[in-house]
Amino acid sequence: MPEAMLIETTPFARNKPIAVPGLVVAYRDGVTVASIAAYREKAVALSDLIEATYGVALPAPGRRVSSNAITLQWSGPGQWLAIAERGQRGGAVRDLEAELKPIVAGLAAVVDQSDARGIVAISGTRALNVLAKGVPIDLHERAFATGDVANTHASHIAITIARLDDTPTFELTMYRSYATSFTDWLRSATAEFVHTQPR
Amino acid sequence: MRLACPCCGERSLDEFTFLGDASVTRPDPSADDAAGAFHAYAYLRRNAAGPSDELWFHNTGCHAWLVVTRDTRTHEILGVRLAQDVALARTGNRKDVRETSA
Ligand SMILES: [Zn+2]
Repeated sequence: MPEAMLIETTPFARNKPIAVPGLVVAYRDGVTVASIAAYREKAVALSDLIEATYGVALPAPGRRVSSNAITLQWSGPGQWLAIAERGQRGGAVRDLEAELKPIVAGLAAVVDQSDARGIVAISGTRALNVLAKGVPIDLHERAFATGDVANTHASHIAITIARLDDTPTFELTMYRSYATSFTDWLRSATAEFVHTQPR
Repeated sequence: MRLACPCCGERSLDEFTFLGDASVTRPDPSADDAAGAFHAYAYLRRNAAGPSDELWFHNTGCHAWLVVTRDTRTHEILGVRLAQDVALARTGNRKDVRETSA
């Protein structure tokens, strides 16, 4: 009898690449992700401890910060998402839940989200044109600067979007099971740009 | 219509879900008049023509419950507060709620 096997795959593995002039779509893989939820009235002590450990404090609402060791992204009142490369520290495999839990014990709940999220970076001169078709908030730099983060939606798919730089590059985090629906939307949103060069 | 979420800023209506009247509070089920109190809690509404407190959920935003004060005649939004703050103010700001399990 053949043995049933589970094959590890990434959230966007089944999606064909999107090739559009003026747009780079990079699916982010190999990351460890954990949610952090502060216990009542512990947020300040929690932030101090995180800063002492990683060199960056928990960011204010609507903000994201990064150090060499970790990215911290606000995700709701008293809640953050921590993101890092799995193989970041001296080649050893990192697991942010296991790493953070003992550090913040008694101050916050930490839960692994590595397999629960899909992350994609969208950058280039046409990034704003494409995202404007589905994201209802103003992503222009005067309203949404580098380091800003927002929970909103892209064509009714809940996303957390952050502006990483002024290329511009946007990083979108979504629930993993919506990755294919999101890519379907992205493909139709980019279709008009496939055969033309950005001005 | 746009709602100014205290966490996220001004957002369009499609990010929110409406629940209902925010002016009612769940009665004590062990009280002597619990049956009557629950009838009022579940069914009786003022249906005011004017400012009303309503519960809204920021479902594609910060996932916070909000108490929105809306004028039912004009749809003017008179205020948006975190439901957590409203509830804590109502219960005398109990601080032991989550710390017992921490
Ligand atoms: Zn919000």
